Amino acid sequence: MDPANTPLGKMLLDEITPVVMVLSTPLVEEASLKNHLSFVQMLSPFCSFNNIDVPVRTASDQPYRLQKFKLRLFSASDIRQPNLEVAKERLKHFISQAGDKDDMFSDPPQISNLLASSESEIQPSWFQFFNKELVRTVSFSEHEAFDHPVACLLVVSSKDEQPINRFIDLFNTDKLPSLLNDGAMDPKILKHYLLVHDNQDGSPEKAAKILTEMKSTFGSNECQLLCINSSHDGPVERQDNPWAPYESDVSPSQCVGCFLNIDDSNEIKDLMQDLSSKHVIPYMEQKIRFLNQQVSATRKGFRNQIKNLWWRKGKEDAVDSPDGPMYTFSSIESQIRVLGDYAFMLRDYELALSNYRLISTDYKLDKAWKRYAGVQEMMGLTFFMLDQSRKEAEYCMENAFNTYLKIGSLSQQNATRCGLWWVEMLKTRDQYKEAAVVYFRLCSEEPLHSAVFLEQASYCYLLSKPPMLRKFGFHLVLSGDRYKKCDQIKHAIRTYRTSVSVFEGIMWGHIKDNVHFRIGQWYGILGMDDLAVKHMLEVLACSHQPKTTQELFLRDFLQIVQKTGKTFEVLKLQLPQVNISSLKVVFEDHRTYASPAAATVRESLWQSLEEDIIPPLSNIRTNWLDLQSNSKKYKESNVCVAGEAVKVDIEFKNPLQIPISISGVSLICELSAGSDDASSSTVELQNDDDFKNLITNRDMSSDNVSFTLSEVDVLLGGAETTVVQLTVTPKVEGVLQITGVRWKLSSSVVGFHNFESNHMKKKNAKGRRKSKYSRSDNLKFIVIMSLPKLEGFIHSVPEKLYAGDLQRLVLELRNQSEFAVKNLKMKVSHPRFLNIGNQKNLNSEFPACLERKTSSDPSCVGDSSSSLSQNVFLFPEDTLIQEGTPLLWPVWLWAAIPGDINLYITVYYEMADISSGMRFRTLRMHYNLQVVPSLDLSFQISPSPSRLHEFLVRMDVVNKTSSESFQVHQLSSVGHQWEISLLQPVHTIFPSQSLMAGQSLSCFFMLKSSRKSLTSKDKISTLSPVLGSDVGLGPEDSNQPLFDVSSSPLADFHHYERLHQEMSPQGDPNAVDFVLISRLLTSGDSETPHLFSHHACHCSTSNASPISWQVDGPQTLYHDLSASLCEINFRMIIYNSSDAVASVHVKTFDSVNTGGHLSEGTSSPSGNQSGWHWHDASVEKDIKVTSDVIGARVRKSLSLESVTPFVWSGTSSTSIQIQPMSKTEIPLQICVFSAGIYDLSNYVLQWNLLSSEGPESLEGTRQSSGTCQGYPYYLSVLQSS
Amino acid sequence: MATTACFIIVSRNDIPIYEAEVGSATKREDAAQLHQFILHAALDIVQDLAWTTSAMFLKAIDRFNDLVVSVYVTAGHTRLMLLHDSRNDDGIKSFFQEVHELYIKILLNPLYLPGSRITSSQFDTKVRALARKYL
Repeated sequence: MDPANTPLGKMLLDEITPVVMVLSTPLVEEASLKNHLSFVQMLSPFCSFNNIDVPVRTASDQPYRLQKFKLRLFSASDIRQPNLEVAKERLKHFISQAGDKDDMFSDPPQISNLLASSESEIQPSWFQFFNKELVRTVSFSEHEAFDHPVACLLVVSSKDEQPINRFIDLFNTDKLPSLLNDGAMDPKILKHYLLVHDNQDGSPEKAAKILTEMKSTFGSNECQLLCINSSHDGPVERQDNPWAPYESDVSPSQCVGCFLNIDDSNEIKDLMQDLSSKHVIPYMEQKIRFLNQQVSATRKGFRNQIKNLWWRKGKEDAVDSPDGPMYTFSSIESQIRVLGDYAFMLRDYELALSNYRLISTDYKLDKAWKRYAGVQEMMGLTFFMLDQSRKEAEYCMENAFNTYLKIGSLSQQNATRCGLWWVEMLKTRDQYKEAAVVYFRLCSEEPLHSAVFLEQASYCYLLSKPPMLRKFGFHLVLSGDRYKKCDQIKHAIRTYRTSVSVFEGIMWGHIKDNVHFRIGQWYGILGMDDLAVKHMLEVLACSHQPKTTQELFLRDFLQIVQKTGKTFEVLKLQLPQVNISSLKVVFEDHRTYASPAAATVRESLWQSLEEDIIPPLSNIRTNWLDLQSNSKKYKESNVCVAGEAVKVDIEFKNPLQIPISISGVSLICELSAGSDDASSSTVELQNDDDFKNLITNRDMSSDNVSFTLSEVDVLLGGAETTVVQLTVTPKVEGVLQITGVRWKLSSSVVGFHNFESNHMKKKNAKGRRKSKYSRSDNLKFIVIMSLPKLEGFIHSVPEKLYAGDLQRLVLELRNQSEFAVKNLKMKVSHPRFLNIGNQKNLNSEFPACLERKTSSDPSCVGDSSSSLSQNVFLFPEDTLIQEGTPLLWPVWLWAAIPGDINLYITVYYEMADISSGMRFRTLRMHYNLQVVPSLDLSFQISPSPSRLHEFLVRMDVVNKTSSESFQVHQLSSVGHQWEISLLQPVHTIFPSQSLMAGQSLSCFFMLKSSRKSLTSKDKISTLSPVLGSDVGLGPEDSNQPLFDVSSSPLADFHHYERLHQEMSPQGDPNAVDFVLISRLLTSGDSETPHLFSHHACHCSTSNASPISWQVDGPQTLYHDLSASLCEINFRMIIYNSSDAVASVHVKTFDSVNTGGHLSEGTSSPSGNQSGWHWHDASVEKDIKVTSDVIGARVRKSLSLESVTPFVWSGTSSTSIQIQPMSKTEIPLQICVFSAGIYDLSNYVLQWNLLSSEGPESLEGTRQSSGTCQGYPYYLSVLQSS
Repeated sequence: MATTACFIIVSRNDIPIYEAEVGSATKREDAAQLHQFILHAALDIVQDLAWTTSAMFLKAIDRFNDLVVSVYVTAGHTRLMLLHDSRNDDGIKSFFQEVHELYIKILLNPLYLPGSRITSSQFDTKVRALARKYL
């Protein structure tokens, strides 16, 4: 590629060209100003030649031809270093103008589009101009010769007085540029004399006369005449105005160059061509040849080089000023530089390069850094134009750039120019990445320029192969920040907006937030609030940012919103976050809930509870066709009732650490009234736009009267999650669709959330319809005519109570509607805890109503037991609940066991009005009780050894509470076959009357079985209404009545308790149930007394053996033993308490033996009873001793002696069979030979159960056979007097 | 001497999975976002360089003013990037190697989904301890 055709080449051919200084008189300017142009401006368009075709011969002998050439014309006053501040101001103004042209509203470019388009399309066009301007700020520096004027054009008007003198004056004045005056360049430059004649001022004869005069004075070649303003007939219209670039300086009404006709422009063109080809170029050729000779003479050759080096060394201690030593035009260094620059301008790059090389070492040795850098820069450019040694070119540019920077801030502009050329060089070679780095290095203290450079750098990254998008974005952002610093907000927004396309969708939170926040902020400054809000919304949910940043974001956002003064409606407001998966809808069709807690209970639980009381589904499947058409409508949608609220629970989460306030949270609903066809009236929301339309429509239309919405205000703390309950209450029949939720953030921004647009799992109370229907169906309700609805609650249900607490509570059922309900049924999940009482209980006093009445009411008992059997309580047939007359019904609460108890109660009712949409409804109630332990009750029963059907009962009561005291009131045994009595008076066993916390108490009772007949029919009667016996344990002096445990509700609770505690499927007929009733001792508290009942069921009375017996006979006997031996008869009553036939074998033997002997003895006949023992004298003495000692002595004597002093007479071995639950009697007889006390315990009972079912079935439960040792039975035989 | 150092682990999908400011310099307000910008932009360079060498430690690959970006690329193309202003190549290399080991331990956790954010506080403490030791 020809370097001259590259952008940089073109730029160099434009910028590094010979300068012609124009000196003109005011009258000349006046003439040209008629065309609204200065004289220089008038000539300038004709100064560049594309096809000049001039032969050039420089240092070498080979001539070459120049095709393109350009002169730069400057008036003398402009030939000086431009003022930096003015230049900056101009650039700033220019950039602001460019910014204003930008379109702020268009969408930011997409990254794919950017990549596809070429460089010129992407970059703003003013970059080129900006760069050019920057380059020009350093023109006419004294260290560079290419800006030094080559020729001087002296222009005098024909109207001037004494034109010849004017010519001389023009050059001699002190107004000449400082470059010529201070010796930086040779003041003897080529002069060309031009006489300007304005044709409007008259004929050119006078001018011609002056010209001849000039020619005689200055030489004929140097003088020329130019006639302008030849157009006589008005302004000239041109197709392509050569002065078009200058038009912007004047007002549009004035036509630039209006008096210059085609002859004038041709004349100017000829003049300029003549000037360049015949004067400037030959002059430069000549000068090059002259200088080249000079340089060759002084510097070329080995000798000169040595000399030069030696000479330079001597100057080493020269002052090290930033500009280096001063070089005048006559110095050899300046001449070499001029030679190089002239050669460069005439495109003899080889010559230029060799001279630049020569001079650069000199400058380096002289430490003339600025000049050195300038030469290095030119060397780089020359390398570039020669299109060889790219590395060296770059090296030179870098060297120049660094050197300029090293000098300090004064050369910053030079560095900038050098850098720009360097960048262009790199760009030409497609080294965009390196170019971007250079741009980055160009950034200086001047933030505006840095901003532009950074932006250009970013585009370099975009254009590099492969594109470096992240760098692109980063540099855009850097640039934007700098633009912002210079108040170029529009530029800042432009860069940031472009960067958004890069940073879209990345996960780097800080970057994303920063970009959007800044854009939002800046749009806010510009007052473009819609856009500002749009970008601000992106950063609101910035949970990863520190708290202060979150506060800043939110504050700025709200400020912008408040500034606009209107409420924004934002579809996807992220503050707060809506947790859609938490969406929960509670609605009431035939199922109604008394409390929110009841609604949260699993549907299956309710269903199992309601199984018995709900009638089967009304639509009986006649055939499949019927089924399809009939039930479809109600099956697909949920049903709700007009006037009853549908509740929606939804979770809001605050992602920030700072509290936010949201207000007016409400549902967005749609109710198409009166429509029967559900499907057609439903708006299918396809996308968010539709949703938005719906919202706006809803707001405008006034048909909100068809339903009412609840509004909730929430203050969400940092990172808090709150569940909000929203309700919608439809008022008319139709189809209700819940579409979304809306809220207001900080009372200025309205957020919406569409339920449909997201994946949502609806957790409905209606469990069986889950994934079968779409979400919209789940939020769609068919509203039916308003129905009566019962509201029910139980008054003052305690949350915490002690185990055993018995309370009477009142259930209240209210009906708010005008229609009555009937056929009430009720079911309780735990009848053990909650029992439905009798209407009569309602007004009677508690606990007095529980007290034993003189005559029990059998009807009441019977009623309750019948309802108990099916677990469903039927309210009386005539119960009708109407508006304003609540139904009160007593219920009994008894805390059976400690723990957390969930009570579920369901009430079924039917509409009195048959025509309504639903036949029945159910009311579901849920209560949670916490029951803590109170008294721990345990019983131990041991049969009395001496008496049949008598037992010793030991009751252990432990108070397990931590603070409460109880007063034990009464102990009752349940069942009419048992009688319980105290062993000791109350005050002896229980002196303090109260059981303190942690205290335990043991006391003994006697229990007697009053069962007389032991027939099998009695077994049935154990389940019959209980009639027990009670023992009052209260203070003796107070005659507090005893409570009746055999009537409702104690009996009912006892019934369930029995069922619960039952271990074996069959009731043990020998088991006994106890009820302990106690009171809570409240200190001075006058509230209703707490009554506690503790039930211990199935306390078994049976021993290890099913056989019990009793020996009946005289205890003390007087007998004249001297007369005869004493024969005493006993009865042994044996009772079989098992339910199998028992075979009992009674054996008596006269000696006390060990077990082994005993077993032998089973087969020994009675005849073995030999060797009677006479036990006489000792007994008589012993009688006076206390009974204790006697026992001990007797036992002792027995153990010592192996033969008893009495003998069993009669049968020594008896076998009998005893029927279950029956007793039998066998006679026994002993013979006593002397007075004394005898222990009749030397007998055994061997029993064996003869099971009807076989031995296996009994094995696990109880022994099938065993042996019992006889009880001690003491018989005193005394000598009768 | 107060040093600036920002350590970040970037998953193969260019998502930062761990970030820590480990320098001793007092935090400037916009430092966090500037560091993110620099490191994010440096990914462009890593993208080019990672395939030119078999070494995991790529040394200093990018700079922004006086901040240098050093990168260590694991075999799974997870990039450990450190933005620092101190010149201590050996220390940085050791730091990277040890953090790589820690990262592998995280990967071995069956409950950790590769490419997801590292939330282990133990990892965080250890990385910070390593930073104090080497940087």
